[in-house]
Amino acid sequence: MIAIDNLVVQFGGVKPINQLTATLTAPVAGLIGPNGAGKTTLLNVLSGFVRPVQGSVALNGNGLLEMTPLQRVRAGLRRSFQTEQVVEDLTVADNLAAIADHIVPSPQRAEAVDRALAFIGLRPVADKLGQSLNLFQRRLVELGKCVIGKPSLILLDEPAAGLTDEEGGALRELVLRIPTEFSAQVLVIDHDVELIRAMCSETMVLDYGKLLALGPTETVLADPDVRRAYLGEL
Amino acid sequence: MASEHVAQVVPRSMSIARLPMSLLQVPATMIVFAGVTVLFANSFWLSAATAAVALSLSVVGLAILYGQLGLVSLCQFALVGVGGWVALRVGHAFHPPFEISLLAGGIVASIVGLVFGIPALRLRGLYLALVTLMLAGAFQIVISAWGFPDGGPGFLGRADGSGRAMLPRPDLAQGAVAYFVYVCVAATVGLMIAQWHKLAKPGRAWALIRKGETVAISSGVSVLVFKAWAFALSGFLAGLSGALLADNVGQLDGRAFGAFESLNLFALAIVGGVYNWYGALIAGLLLRALPALLTDLGIDGYVTIGIFGVALFHALATAPAGIAGQIAGIVARVRIRIMGGRAP
Ligand SMILES: Nc1ncnc2c1ncn2[C@@H]1O[C@H](COP(=O)(O)OP(=O)(O)OP(=O)(O)O)[C@@H](O)[C@H]1O
Ligand SMILES: [Mg+2]
Repeated sequence: MIAIDNLVVQFGGVKPINQLTATLTAPVAGLIGPNGAGKTTLLNVLSGFVRPVQGSVALNGNGLLEMTPLQRVRAGLRRSFQTEQVVEDLTVADNLAAIADHIVPSPQRAEAVDRALAFIGLRPVADKLGQSLNLFQRRLVELGKCVIGKPSLILLDEPAAGLTDEEGGALRELVLRIPTEFSAQVLVIDHDVELIRAMCSETMVLDYGKLLALGPTETVLADPDVRRAYLGEL
Repeated sequence: MASEHVAQVVPRSMSIARLPMSLLQVPATMIVFAGVTVLFANSFWLSAATAAVALSLSVVGLAILYGQLGLVSLCQFALVGVGGWVALRVGHAFHPPFEISLLAGGIVASIVGLVFGIPALRLRGLYLALVTLMLAGAFQIVISAWGFPDGGPGFLGRADGSGRAMLPRPDLAQGAVAYFVYVCVAATVGLMIAQWHKLAKPGRAWALIRKGETVAISSGVSVLVFKAWAFALSGFLAGLSGALLADNVGQLDGRAFGAFESLNLFALAIVGGVYNWYGALIAGLLLRALPALLTDLGIDGYVTIGIFGVALFHALATAPAGIAGQIAGIVARVRIRIMGGRAP
């Protein structure tokens, strides 16, 4: 469970997050909003790369903001980035090992990497270099990195951006398996409303730093305010 | 079902087994190189080759900093000097087996390298280059005032005129050929340590740091620790290099450790290639064997600076992976052609 209370982020004169209070409990929760709404900024606050000027965030009851980014990773926080960050000159297995090195005790490292490889279905290309992968495989590697160790919260920043509908569907199936197979909560940002609808039981809508709506996905997507601000309806 | 499972597991176990296998490239290549050199080189060439191999250790340190982390350090030759100074000092003061002096040189240079690297924890690019170049300049001033220990008394260990002593060569490597082989063995060990780092946990962490510090931290990498480790390792290799150079002739000349030498070393590291381990060996040979060749042909040694300049320009403009990268490219193409015959 993520509990955000009265959060304010300020960059100079702009407040990309302004007095945000929200509690997310769904195993897979969605975060949507127009460009520049502050979605990535919220992920950066959760993972520790942006310091809010005010407010608090708790993950399963533990204060997050007191921890350094590294401590949060060790405590089970994982994230992917809006632009994929696969290392080109490491193999798929080594891209996964690169995170296992630091958060999995060495006797279990090979097993953790193998389990992630099996989960994302990339065992056949485990020894291929990152540079030889297509975008879908890259997004899978990013997802694989997130399930290594004992994840408690996985933050995915537009994990399906640039994928075909079919690939996005395959990715969605994997994300849906995470809460039961890895007992981690997932928070997904995406612009594809259909994907969010299929994946997230709960959705939060941000609009220029303000909370526009939060609740069961169907209710939120039917909300007239959301339709006007986000889906471009009058 | 069962057989499918086994088939799927194979790639994973293969990639683990490949680690030591690809490390064996280093001794295999070094044995061939040492064998050819011993067979064909006269004493003049042998001395140049010994210095070249010793220097390659300092180049491989630079290759880690630049090739793995993109850090431009322009004080590497100063660290070679530190290693040489410490090895001579320890050797003349306590007369231990040379291996002790060698390790002492490596360890002290590693610590100094770590201290020199502190600015790097905050600085990058041009600023880091400038700061490290100034450190190389500071070392130049200190070493030209102090000189290298030659068996005299006191902390500086300088003997005035009479009583100057050479550092004796290791017991098991008294002759020129034996010492060349000794340096090759030491360099092989050093190159393998460096190569292991690139292929294992530190190399993966460096790769993530290269991708971006945010990405690295998100993967649990302690950026500070792994950057500091790279500087310490690079300094250690430079220190070994200095100690091995010192024992080639038994002494070092303080005038040979100017800041320009550090610049030159960095330039040649790029020409040799920072992404393949043997780039360091190529750089070492360019630094010591090329001038020897020109001397042999009766051409002024300063011509080498011009040649290096052109080579650096060529590398920067057309071959960022250096000569070693071009060799690796040719090898890969040949391999594909041979394999291609067998593919469907
Ligand atoms: N480091 C920063 N410094 C200054 N302003 C920033 C910084 N990061 C983000 N912003 C601003 O904060 C606002 C929110 O940006 P953010 O990246 O969180 O949007 P987003 O919802 O992720 O948008 P998108 O859908 O385009 O990814 C934008 O106006 C952006 O320009
Ligand atoms: Mg964003």
